[in-house]
Amino acid sequence: MAIPSDAGSEALHRLKTTDPPQWLAPSAALSQTARAASQHLFSSLRPYAPKTPFEQLLVEGFDAEQIWQQLDLQSQPLLSSIRRELKRFEKDPEEIRKLRVAMEGKEREKGLEDEVEKMEVESDDFGEDLEDLEEEEEQQQQKEGKEDEDEDEDEDEDEEGEEGNEGGGIEDRFLKMKDLEKFLKEDEEREYGSKKKDKKKKKVDDGDQEENTEKEEEEEEAGDDEDENGDGEDEDEDSEEMGEFGLDDDEDEDTDELGNARYEDFFGGKKKKPSKKKSKLTGDLEGSGMDDDGEDDEKQQTLSTHEKELAKRKLKIEQMEKSNLEPKTWTMQGEVTAAKRPKNSALEVDLDFEHNMRPPPVITEEVTASLEDIIKKRILEGHFDDVEKPPALPSKAPREVKELDENKSKKGLAEIYEEEYAQKTNLASMPLSFAEEEKKEASMLFKKLCLKLDALSHFHFTPKPVIEDMSIQANVPALAMEEIAPLAVSDAAMLAPEEVFAGKGDIKEESELTQAERKRRRANKKRKFKAEAAKRTANKPQDGTLLNNNDAVAEKKDDEEGAGVAR
Amino acid sequence: MQNNEASAAMEVEAVPSVARTLPPKPKFKPLKAHEMSDGQVQFRKVSVPPHRYSPLKKAWMDIYTPVYEQMKIDIRMNLKARKVELKTRQDTPDISNLQKCADFLHAFMLGFDLVDAIALLRLDELYVESFEIKDVKTLRGEHLSRAIGRLSGKGGKTKFAIENATKTRIVIADTKIHILGSFANIKVARDSLCNLILGSPAGKVYSKLRAVTARLAERF
Repeated sequence: MAIPSDAGSEALHRLKTTDPPQWLAPSAALSQTARAASQHLFSSLRPYAPKTPFEQLLVEGFDAEQIWQQLDLQSQPLLSSIRRELKRFEKDPEEIRKLRVAMEGKEREKGLEDEVEKMEVESDDFGEDLEDLEEEEEQQQQKEGKEDEDEDEDEDEDEEGEEGNEGGGIEDRFLKMKDLEKFLKEDEEREYGSKKKDKKKKKVDDGDQEENTEKEEEEEEAGDDEDENGDGEDEDEDSEEMGEFGLDDDEDEDTDELGNARYEDFFGGKKKKPSKKKSKLTGDLEGSGMDDDGEDDEKQQTLSTHEKELAKRKLKIEQMEKSNLEPKTWTMQGEVTAAKRPKNSALEVDLDFEHNMRPPPVITEEVTASLEDIIKKRILEGHFDDVEKPPALPSKAPREVKELDENKSKKGLAEIYEEEYAQKTNLASMPLSFAEEEKKEASMLFKKLCLKLDALSHFHFTPKPVIEDMSIQANVPALAMEEIAPLAVSDAAMLAPEEVFAGKGDIKEESELTQAERKRRRANKKRKFKAEAAKRTANKPQDGTLLNNNDAVAEKKDDEEGAGVAR
Repeated sequence: MQNNEASAAMEVEAVPSVARTLPPKPKFKPLKAHEMSDGQVQFRKVSVPPHRYSPLKKAWMDIYTPVYEQMKIDIRMNLKARKVELKTRQDTPDISNLQKCADFLHAFMLGFDLVDAIALLRLDELYVESFEIKDVKTLRGEHLSRAIGRLSGKGGKTKFAIENATKTRIVIADTKIHILGSFANIKVARDSLCNLILGSPAGKVYSKLRAVTARLAERF
């Protein structure tokens, strides 16, 4: 629906002339005029922006966001073309003069005052540049100025986030002023049960379009507000709940003015009208909770507090009923597996569960000191907790391990089987194994020992049992031979009678002999001696004479010599 | 005779008087070895492998004496044919003597010592079992050599260990293995040798041997 340019410019003019306080309260008429004005502007700018898909700005029944997007679509390529033009003018100053004249004419025709102002401002700047072309510094300054302006322009027409960044300094990926505002508005809406944010937003957008500074300031304000109040949202909400937007705003304004002074406040002055706009902005923010229409406001103001509370309660009830219908959050659902809840949601919730383990002991100096005391005491006592093996009593006799003989067996196979057979049939009591022989030896030794001990200890001596052993006994005196004879057996038992005495006849003792027998015995002795002597002399024929004892010795010597010679 | 008796018994009911007196059972003296095959002389021929030729020559008298004197078997060496020939005599007491002598000689030819082979003459229940390494596991080249080495052990100690533990005699002739002993002992020795061929270490075989022989000894 095309609005004639007169109507559009008229609308613009009307917007400009409205008092700032009027902007605080949302009004339908104002919004209509704003829309008309924006439409007019859009269409007037359209020839300069060749790429726009829209013939005209569509405002009927459109969301603030949508209108904004349309504007954005147009303005973006426009901006870039303007920049290009600027650069061109930088290089070639001659064209500016031509353009300046043409532009001025054009602007008057079209009636784009704002744009003209801007362009004029820019061209003025350029004019200054041209005058002082030689001085580079000024140019640079101007460039900087231009850049600032460009930045400003960009900020104006770009997303709110950037402006917020410049203004607030707390914006980053996580905190976007735009989202913040949206949340605020939603909250207020919930509080007061009205959905007038669209209008409000549109208003905001329109305000931007008209005067670019407004938007910027709004964002700045918003940023400042957030900066000032730690939890800006909360405070805003609080203030809104109270329903007083005048006092708080003023307070905020003051603090903002002093606290967050920015470069633009000092150097980009033409665009900033802080006080006026701040009030406007805060008014907008606070006022979102209230009805936009003045009429509605009046209506609400007539409601009593009781009715207000009722309305609030009703809202709450509706909310709770709505939440009851919806599915519960996962924390309220009872047993929830990981698949049923969002990712990492358990980290956000403060979970409380039982630990089945005793918490590890905290090691403090006292603990270590006490431990060391215990250790010292134990060492002194010698009371250790070592695990001692119980003394293992062998329950059964250890099996004898037969060792494998790795040498060639000396016995033939036949002999081996022979022995085995003999053992089986018990022909000869042969020790079965090496162990048995040793056993026998051991038992023998023990028996000997026992005998000796018995001999020492027992009053009635029990003689050792005779071991029948066939062995040859020689009739040799004991001293001559080491005889292993049992103690209890006397020589008489050991020797045979003939060995004891080899004689014949009736044997009489010395005392028993009669005189005659004694004489006979002596005579026999003498005879034997004589025979012996004669024998000796017979052996030595050289010495025939029988000499007396004195000579006998010499004779004996001679005999011996003679005997030696005779041999 | 029995059939007649049976028929006679059947006839007993008819004619009881005839069945009373039967001829006595004939009693025959046991046949001598000589007479067993209808009076024919029995021969055995044992061929002599070339590597046992000189040991045979050395031990000839020790072989001849027990065979001729105690077994009462004629024995002679056929030099041309390289065979030892055995023949029964008239006074050979038992036909099995010939077979025993043949076994004895065969054992000697396999490689057993004389004193060990003599046991065959003296004991009845001794046997000789032979098998080859390839019967147990197919081994070639170095594996075969290693297996033979494992069987004998260092200086023959593994072989002697098995012999002493199981009361057998073992001869390892290249890839052929001969075991002389009683039936159960041969089995034990054979199991040990097979385990060695299959690759188990000597220590393992020893432990098994000890267990088995202890069990065998406990029985008596």
